[in-house]
Amino acid sequence: MAARDQALSVSDAMALAKGALESVRLRVMGEVSEATIKPGYKAIYFSLKDGSAVMPCLMWRDSYDASGVALEDGRLVEVSGNFTAYVPKGRMQFQVRSVTAAGEGMLRLEVARLARTLEAEGLMAGSRKRALPGHPTRIGVVTSPRGKAIHDILRTLGRRYPLAEVVVAGVQVEGEGAAREIVRGLATLGAEPGVDVIILGRGGGSYEDLMPFNAEEVARAVAASPVPVVTGIGHEPDTSIADMVADLRASTPTAAAEAVAPDVAEVSRALAAQSVRLGRALTHRVADLEHRVRSIADRPIMASCDALFATRAQTLDMLASGLERGIPALLDRRAEALVRARAALLRVGARLVEPSEAAVSRGVERTVLVGQQLLERNEQAVGRTAARLDDLSPLAILGRGYAVCYECEGPILRSAKSVSPGDRVDVRLAEGWLGCIVETVGSED
Amino acid sequence: MADEVVAPADMTFGAALAELEQIVRALETGQLELEESLARYERGVALLTACQKKLSEARQKVTALIGELESDEGEGEGAS
Repeated sequence: MAARDQALSVSDAMALAKGALESVRLRVMGEVSEATIKPGYKAIYFSLKDGSAVMPCLMWRDSYDASGVALEDGRLVEVSGNFTAYVPKGRMQFQVRSVTAAGEGMLRLEVARLARTLEAEGLMAGSRKRALPGHPTRIGVVTSPRGKAIHDILRTLGRRYPLAEVVVAGVQVEGEGAAREIVRGLATLGAEPGVDVIILGRGGGSYEDLMPFNAEEVARAVAASPVPVVTGIGHEPDTSIADMVADLRASTPTAAAEAVAPDVAEVSRALAAQSVRLGRALTHRVADLEHRVRSIADRPIMASCDALFATRAQTLDMLASGLERGIPALLDRRAEALVRARAALLRVGARLVEPSEAAVSRGVERTVLVGQQLLERNEQAVGRTAARLDDLSPLAILGRGYAVCYECEGPILRSAKSVSPGDRVDVRLAEGWLGCIVETVGSED
Repeated sequence: MADEVVAPADMTFGAALAELEQIVRALETGQLELEESLARYERGVALLTACQKKLSEARQKVTALIGELESDEGEGEGAS
């Protein structure tokens, strides 16, 4: 800062000093002395000293209460904060923001190392954090069976969400063996059927009191829990390893209980909203379907079924009229074709018959000619034969004066003994017949 | 769905509420058949009734598996 020409006022000088002091943050270790802790005071006043120096300190009541460390004369503590100036009195003092018991330094280093190891293993990864059940059925609680934490949790859950059963593993949460008990509590609740979330809680305390929640076995048990774990460890400025590994970190047991379950009033409102939506959804659905049905009912087709057939009926009419027109025309065409075919047939037939006719008449002529020749020849032959026959005929003999006698309408009579007197005989002469009655019968002798 | 066979009274509150929400969403899509809509609605009403009954009848139940809880309800204790 550049030197100033003009002298400053005291106020300005002190303000300058205060600003300069407050810009530096420190961690200081020392022994507590002259501690003044009065109920009404907003701050705790004490001094830190070592063998050769004294440092006046101030700590705001809220920070002190949250620290969990008791500032008692003679105690070795580690404070962090900054110097400041109390301007009205021109006094310099150290403003303590946090205080831990010395010796804690070593613990913190160890815890920090474990935290780094677990983080490197991925146990603190955001992707491992599970979502809490919205409406838990059984809520597990691992905490001390006595004290404020369990009652805060039960009261909060009873008020907000009595629907869920609370299953408690009351375990020792500080001192020797606490870590092992916490692990056992987590395992027991994790194996309990129906438990869908676990609260791991404890009230405020010193850093050392908190140590079981920094134990590696507890961290691993939290990570291995089959259901989500919510921590509610009331030790505001410090984050335990259990907090880091948990699926959700709440600042206090009460906050953890609030985190695991909704408020029934809220649930009731949500349920009422669901009820309204349910009714409305059905009403809308039915109205929508109704509308669709009505819009179909209103169509002309539904008003009169004629419309259903109108198009087809019309088509049918058109086809019928086409048929009516078409059939006579078709017949005419066929008739014409028939006439043409007949004429063609006749022409073709005549041509086909002509040669045959000629052949037949030629055949007939020849046959007649042959027949005549045959006839002539036969007639000559017959004539000759007849002449010869004539020569042989008994009639020709008769011509010579013989007669032939027959029994009455019977055979030629050859013997007189064949007849008796009175019998009738016929006699054939060369010309004509005689019917005769036998008068006598005699023999030649 | 197989879990529709479960009577709402036998379901956990969370499961009943989840199914109710699912039914409301399905109905709101307006894609369901009328019969399906009515069936879902009926189921929804049953779930709703069961949820409301559970809510109105809920009394906190506490079980200690490990350790013994103090019977003292600690009414006088201040807030944390």
